[in-house]
Amino acid sequence: MNSIIVLILGALGIGIGYGVYARRINENIVQPDPNKATPAKMYMDGVDFTPASRNVLFGYQFKSVAALAPLTGPVIAVQWGWLPALVWIILGTFFIGWVQDYGAMIMGVRREGDTMGALSYKLISPRARNILMIFIYFYLLLIMGAFGNAVGKTLMVNPKVPFGMIAVVLMGVLAGQMTYKWKQDIIITTIVTVVLTFVGIWISTLPFMSNIFSALYGLPDSPTVFMGNTQAQILGTLLMIIFCYLGAVLPIWSFAQPVNYVSFWIVSLGMVGGVLGLLIWRPGMGDFPVFTQFTTASGPLWPMLFVTIACGAISGWHSLVSTSGTARQLEQETDALPVGGGAMFMEMAFAVIAFLTATVAFGGWQGYQDAGGAGAALGVFAKGLAAFLGRIGVPETFGTAYGSVFLTIMALTIMQLVVRFMRVASAELVGDAIPAMKNVHVGTIVALLLTLLFVWIIPWLAIWGAFGASNQLMAGLALLLIALWLKAEGRRNTWALYPSFFMIVTTLAALLYLAYVNFSKLGAPDITTQGFIASLLLGVIALVLVVAAVVLIVDGWKALQAPRKEEAAEAA
Amino acid sequence: MLERLRRIGETVGEIIYGMTTYEWARDVRRERGEVEHLFVLITFGDIVGLPILPPYYTLRLLPYVVPLINRWKRSLLRERDWTDLTGLIEGIG
Repeated sequence: MNSIIVLILGALGIGIGYGVYARRINENIVQPDPNKATPAKMYMDGVDFTPASRNVLFGYQFKSVAALAPLTGPVIAVQWGWLPALVWIILGTFFIGWVQDYGAMIMGVRREGDTMGALSYKLISPRARNILMIFIYFYLLLIMGAFGNAVGKTLMVNPKVPFGMIAVVLMGVLAGQMTYKWKQDIIITTIVTVVLTFVGIWISTLPFMSNIFSALYGLPDSPTVFMGNTQAQILGTLLMIIFCYLGAVLPIWSFAQPVNYVSFWIVSLGMVGGVLGLLIWRPGMGDFPVFTQFTTASGPLWPMLFVTIACGAISGWHSLVSTSGTARQLEQETDALPVGGGAMFMEMAFAVIAFLTATVAFGGWQGYQDAGGAGAALGVFAKGLAAFLGRIGVPETFGTAYGSVFLTIMALTIMQLVVRFMRVASAELVGDAIPAMKNVHVGTIVALLLTLLFVWIIPWLAIWGAFGASNQLMAGLALLLIALWLKAEGRRNTWALYPSFFMIVTTLAALLYLAYVNFSKLGAPDITTQGFIASLLLGVIALVLVVAAVVLIVDGWKALQAPRKEEAAEAA
Repeated sequence: MLERLRRIGETVGEIIYGMTTYEWARDVRRERGEVEHLFVLITFGDIVGLPILPPYYTLRLLPYVVPLINRWKRSLLRERDWTDLTGLIEGIG
């Protein structure tokens, strides 16, 4: 199968999905009213509720939802063969992904900007909000573990990467200074910082610079130091922790925000260059198998494929962004489809590109395995992107370092914000009982220590499955909320209800599988201390999420069965 | 044709703005809004049951604050939970 055919299939998925299916539901069922005042216009408090144009919000929504996860999941998922992965990316988005993003957004608009927490409380039950908080907390812990593992133990141990990452950070800080303190024009700031970042990435590939990090890491044979982690991995994760600490405690304008800004340009230019290279090259899949086997290292195809590719098909996190963020900024109800649905379909395109880096960049199945396979998904993506960039004249050494820095900085910009969130959430949760947790530095350090526990102890593939399952469980909850809201409005809801059933059943199965696999390992005679702690942690988290999901299903079922207020009044 | 190209250029520009510096403007606006709300709380806090400054200052500021009283009250008293904080985090996927 040629890559161009895959791109055409993806484009058809977007064209028919958005142009036909989504539009029909929008016009015939939801029926948005362009003249009705949205919460952004009604409240306009200048803090959370401020209207913005649909184009601006599309860019904002897309940037908020499309990032590292849609690039990683497809690369792991092709271990089942290219067909199952591609079908889930396209059909998952077609029937489920855009439904959640758009539905959550329009629900948020019509419910006066209520968050998912408030909506869970009102539409399902009071304890549904607490369950959502549990999902969020574990989800964020697992994200830190998954991304931290990928960055600290895979990407950063390449001695050609750390200096490039440091260059991005320094240029981000410079961008903040130039914009806020020196009041420089944003275009000049962008050009200066982005060009210097590319110079930094190039310097990181030079022998004198990579030799410094090779020496620090103890390469070529980095010794094992702690809990099965090599010296290179320990130092890589510590560098990552320092970055996250700075991002979490420094004022947002001075570090997190401008570093994020510079990273955006590095990532965008890389993706544009990669797509151009792909279109010029037009490689085929070679002998990449249509289907390998039902059960692989990540588990059985059902349910694990559906939690491995999370954000490229459907992601629970999007519902939080759609309600707490974008719904409070929509100028008109009719903007919900192009912004919410449109951004999700564009993210599907992102996932298709990631899929192609794994399936066509290496000549076939053996090439994918040699590049690292599912266990080194980010490394595979970086090398695949380098192969595409090579077709537009980018040298392979630079391309691979660039791809690795690109992924590293994408992960780190998320992680620093997650640590910030966890610090605030921990202060709220336990700050009264443990006053020290209200201290910015203490809260941050505790969050980072938890991260290190996950990163150093739990293997990458295992943690990715758990992260995907918790994310998709949130998606099931969001879809259930949308279905309940539609029912309350007296509108047809099967287009949200059936996807909700599918997501809840599938993720419940995935969590039960993860709990079973991990608890089974505890009794193995040759299990190491690290393996024991990792399996226990993952098993417990999976079980907690299963219990939370079952409570949610019970409450959700009761809410579905409850008559609408109008029906109850008529019966009376 | 030129008009169409101009509109496409404007659309692309707005999308890029949304992906890049819109968030900066939003954060700055949010910070200004929070400071403004705090100021109104200090000067007109009796609306929500807090002790206030002497009425002289309140009366001097009244013409400026009356237009935003409803918005301020709603923003101050709006129920919040962790999902409000999820706006801090972007780019998970």
